[in-house]
Amino acid sequence: MAGPRANWKGYIKFGEVSCPVALYTAASSSERIAFNTLNRKTGNRVKREFIDSETGDPVEREDQVKGYEVDNGQYVVLEPDEVAAAIPESDKTLRIEAFIPCSQIDTTYFDKPYYLAPDKMGTDAFLLLRDGMKKQGVAAIAQTVLFRRMRTVLIRAHGKGLIASTLNFDYEVRSSEKAFEEIPNLKIEGEILELAEHIIGTKKGTFDASTFEDRYEAAVAELVKAKIEGRTLPKKKAPVASKPSNLLQALRESAGLGAKETKPKRTAANANRRAGRQKAAETAAKSKQAAPPRRAG
Amino acid sequence: MAIRPHWKGYLKLSLVTCPVQMMPATSESEKVRFHTLNRQTQNRVVSHYVDAVTGKEVKEEDEVKGYQRGEDEYVILEDEELENVALESTRTIDISTFTPRDSIEWIWLDTPYYLSPDDPVGEEAFSVIRDAMDAQNMVGISRLVISRRERAVMLEPRGKGIVLWTLRYGDEVREEDSYFEAIGDGKADSEMMPLVQQLIKKQTKDWSAKMVADPVQERLLDIIAAKKKTLKKPVKGKAKPQPSSPASNVVNIMDALKKSVAAEKRGGR
Repeated sequence: MAGPRANWKGYIKFGEVSCPVALYTAASSSERIAFNTLNRKTGNRVKREFIDSETGDPVEREDQVKGYEVDNGQYVVLEPDEVAAAIPESDKTLRIEAFIPCSQIDTTYFDKPYYLAPDKMGTDAFLLLRDGMKKQGVAAIAQTVLFRRMRTVLIRAHGKGLIASTLNFDYEVRSSEKAFEEIPNLKIEGEILELAEHIIGTKKGTFDASTFEDRYEAAVAELVKAKIEGRTLPKKKAPVASKPSNLLQALRESAGLGAKETKPKRTAANANRRAGRQKAAETAAKSKQAAPPRRAG
Repeated sequence: MAIRPHWKGYLKLSLVTCPVQMMPATSESEKVRFHTLNRQTQNRVVSHYVDAVTGKEVKEEDEVKGYQRGEDEYVILEDEELENVALESTRTIDISTFTPRDSIEWIWLDTPYYLSPDDPVGEEAFSVIRDAMDAQNMVGISRLVISRRERAVMLEPRGKGIVLWTLRYGDEVREEDSYFEAIGDGKADSEMMPLVQQLIKKQTKDWSAKMVADPVQERLLDIIAAKKKTLKKPVKGKAKPQPSSPASNVVNIMDALKKSVAAEKRGGR
């Protein structure tokens, strides 16, 4: 029986040991709902055209070329073969440059995952690398030319095999520290934290991403149907943010420790909200919620 | 550098709601930013939209989304109408489930975003949700409509903020079995394991952003600098290929491992 087709074949090398391996796409993107862009005035579709910014004339694909701005308005033109020349020739080898502790891996660099498996012979070295990394709790960093691009790859043990994830380059990932720098350093402690932890405990469950369903397309179809029938869907009200002064009370009520008269209403609202939810999560959540809160008191 | 938020909405845990904003953790910007030029005139190339039938330019405010019903039949959907799609997840990240951080395998992680409070009014509530997840070593699971799809999302505390990951759909992740089944159930040779571990230990380093530097971009900048000096003269010569080692089929792995460990020792690391 023919196996799956490899996207790349080469060698993996650590120290003086190497073995032939193959990469296989582990994840692909499925399609989202497609809208067309229309001209509101005519109802016709629109199409994109590339034009010269000065003359306004259309520019054919073969006349479009990459330019790097060196001075204001002055460009250095780079032809595709010149750009290609900056990429080293591929030696088809994932050469491990370093191992890093798994706990230090910054997942925001992850790009695409590939299954990495032995190609033909040489399983011994593969197993050694896999089990050695597993035992040491590390992943490997390698750089190589993949699909005509220089890529950094993170390799880690995964079940019987390895997963190689291409990583984004440093300039492609924003600093989280910078992104979060304006958030004040609030110290959360005492009852407020305990209540929130308790709520988390009541919502503890398992999640199986493979069973998740995208409801967006169906919701849009519903919207379109309403529009054709001349109905308008009810305008949605914006959620109301909890006031800081009411935060503790909101947490108490969430934890089921709030004032009695508001309780039935809340429960009904919760039930409604959960009704549309995805099944696996619902079952998981329900079975947990049915049990008395263990951390109470 | 001011970064525009990608999305604004609400984060919700049970009865606690706070306004939040979100931006992509990755940026499209390249280190070496190119523009498209017209080779004939050296002017910049820009794009615009024209009516497919009349060929006339369409102004941005006249562009509207169309939902295709038939071959040439569309229903126009305004952005405000789309906002009324009957899903709470267009506006609210309502955390439905919490699960241990390591129970979501990395292969499900698709795109990361940075989530932070959007208004001082929500800073405390945001911090409470973040710190409680952190204290419990849990991640939150919710749904969110991003770019016209409803995604499963995972929320993970990070520093003062929260990283929100969209998770891949079930039909996007391929079954690993067909790729790994030929490996069999074999384990690594127990005699060689100590040597491999020794080698790994010696080559283990702390993570650093240097590991994700891009040598090609540096080279492009060199090429550009050279071209700038001799504007119009084409650059000659190829970049040096990396020294390629013969990818030998190692017959005796044990010998190779010993050599590797010895080399590491000489290197004094």
